[in-house]
Amino acid sequence: MQGLLKKRKVTLGLWLVVLLIGSLLVWGTQHDASLYRDPIMQVTSVQKGQATKEEDDFHNVDYQTKQKLSGRILNGKYRGQKLTVTNTYSLSGAMDQHYRKGSQLFIVVHQHRHGQLTATAKDAKRDTALIFMLWLVVGLLLLIMQFSGFMAFLSVALNGVLFLMAIILNGSTQGARVLWIFGSLAVVFAALTLWLVIGANRQMLITLATTLGGTALSIIVALLVFHFTHEKGMYYESMQYVTQLPRPLFLAETLLGSLGAVMDESTDIISSLFALKRERPELSATQVFKSGRQIGSTIMGPLINVLFFIFVADTFPMAMLYLKNGNSWGYTFSMNMSMGVVQSLISGIGIVLAVPLASYLASRFMEKKVRA
Amino acid sequence: MSTINVLGLVLLALMVLVGGKAGFQSFLALLLNFGLLFLAIVLVAFHFPPLPVTLVVGVLVLALTIFMSSGDDLSSTVAFLASAAVLVILVLLIVPVEHWALVQGFGPEDSEDLEGLSVLVGINFVQVTTATAILSTLGAIAEAAMAISAGLSEILEQHPKVSTRALLGDGIAVGKQIIGTTFNTLFFGFFGGFLALFIWFTGVHYSFGEIFNDKIFVSEILMILFAMVSVILTVPITTWVMTRAVAGQRKRAAKQMNEK
Repeated sequence: MQGLLKKRKVTLGLWLVVLLIGSLLVWGTQHDASLYRDPIMQVTSVQKGQATKEEDDFHNVDYQTKQKLSGRILNGKYRGQKLTVTNTYSLSGAMDQHYRKGSQLFIVVHQHRHGQLTATAKDAKRDTALIFMLWLVVGLLLLIMQFSGFMAFLSVALNGVLFLMAIILNGSTQGARVLWIFGSLAVVFAALTLWLVIGANRQMLITLATTLGGTALSIIVALLVFHFTHEKGMYYESMQYVTQLPRPLFLAETLLGSLGAVMDESTDIISSLFALKRERPELSATQVFKSGRQIGSTIMGPLINVLFFIFVADTFPMAMLYLKNGNSWGYTFSMNMSMGVVQSLISGIGIVLAVPLASYLASRFMEKKVRA
Repeated sequence: MSTINVLGLVLLALMVLVGGKAGFQSFLALLLNFGLLFLAIVLVAFHFPPLPVTLVVGVLVLALTIFMSSGDDLSSTVAFLASAAVLVILVLLIVPVEHWALVQGFGPEDSEDLEGLSVLVGINFVQVTTATAILSTLGAIAEAAMAISAGLSEILEQHPKVSTRALLGDGIAVGKQIIGTTFNTLFFGFFGGFLALFIWFTGVHYSFGEIFNDKIFVSEILMILFAMVSVILTVPITTWVMTRAVAGQRKRAAKQMNEK
């Protein structure tokens, strides 16, 4: 009983520490203006103007409001100076910001001949919300999942660093080898993650082979389909933020996107099969293959769904804007969602193909007697 | 035939080959989910309020995804109830954070895509962006809830007498097994999609300060973080719902025994 009480006290203490760190981080990012080179203004009072009605060619009605923001500069050589900035915001707010008292925003300061300062609003400061959410994820992860949570966080963080390095490498080659860079990165990603999650053993090697095989097969199938359909209805021009040749970039995106899901699935199937073999060593390779297929066919649907929502839900705002601008459903789909759907389909093919691959490799290369 | 149709047919054929009837059902669920997502966009464009639309569509998507894949009744029901609860909690988290972070709508990086489009359409984009964030996590919530409840119902099958307290511990243990790979699914899924954006950032030489306050960057990272929070929360919530369901079942069984 006493042990339980003590354990409870420790947990409570842990929660308190995490909470304290969280509030420190949030407070810190609200007072980190001196870290920035661009001037930041904190709004101390807001004067609101009259709302004006706007109507566009498609009879969309919106209201725009001018506001006068008075505030003080928090950093740089104009620190402490008081300024007034005018800002316009709309009801929909797709491209503008509605600032309130206490908001912090980046401004551009113009110095005039007589030492007079005027400024224009540039953009909101957003690091506080970002840090808060990051803290929430890490805190919950460590408190609920403890060591496993830490390992999960570590593998994501390491992958993030590798990802950043690959992007810098891609930039230095002008994007000419994007598919090669991210293709080899995928191998490193998979090996590193599986090593962290499973450890270095035979099970990890089989999972790695399945992951790479499934992902590679999906890209090969996709390229075959592209070849035979002459890429009819592939709207590469609809891809967002593209600064280099779109086709290899699209394939690299798809490759990376499906890698995680295929890895997830093969880990699940193969670890279940190893556990099964440990419990019932008399099972033949054919029986193991069959069980693998059965496990796989129940998890492949939900996994394809995960990627589908990640790839396609993202297009919501732009698709809606297309509809509001008098475009047809078909055109809206083609220009916004079709590439995401193609990505989900290719990833789906990889996820499905990984099922027999995992079952085959596990049934064939599992040691006759799995050591416990 | 267009590429998208052929790829769809290939996927359908493979799913049926590998999974039989279950594979076909999963494909159908995917198709219906797409329909629901598109419906949500159309409804919002017709000025239906974005948040209620998202909630209704979200619950429908969860039900479709969970009940159309094969699983026993108990684990499917538990997974559905738990994922619906997570969805509600997630909405309570996403709404204030999206208001706070000011990441609604589009950023300067979108200007080229927005050319010729009117952005003053009279629909509140804070709510649209909130809806987007909620929808993008739906698949992950459903998958995690199903994995946990399936794992627990397997434990129940092998040890039917396990106490509800021990079951709570088992749930977290199952969660620990899936969390590593699930996080990587989310990481790669999202980062695959953002590859072009990140290449843009390094190409145009944004400073760190600019990146961490960039509207699009913050909005995309927030989406990953929301998804991760929802997956973490799914573990204890699904476990808890399962213990309630088991306790209820046992109570009913005991009552029947007494009546006899």
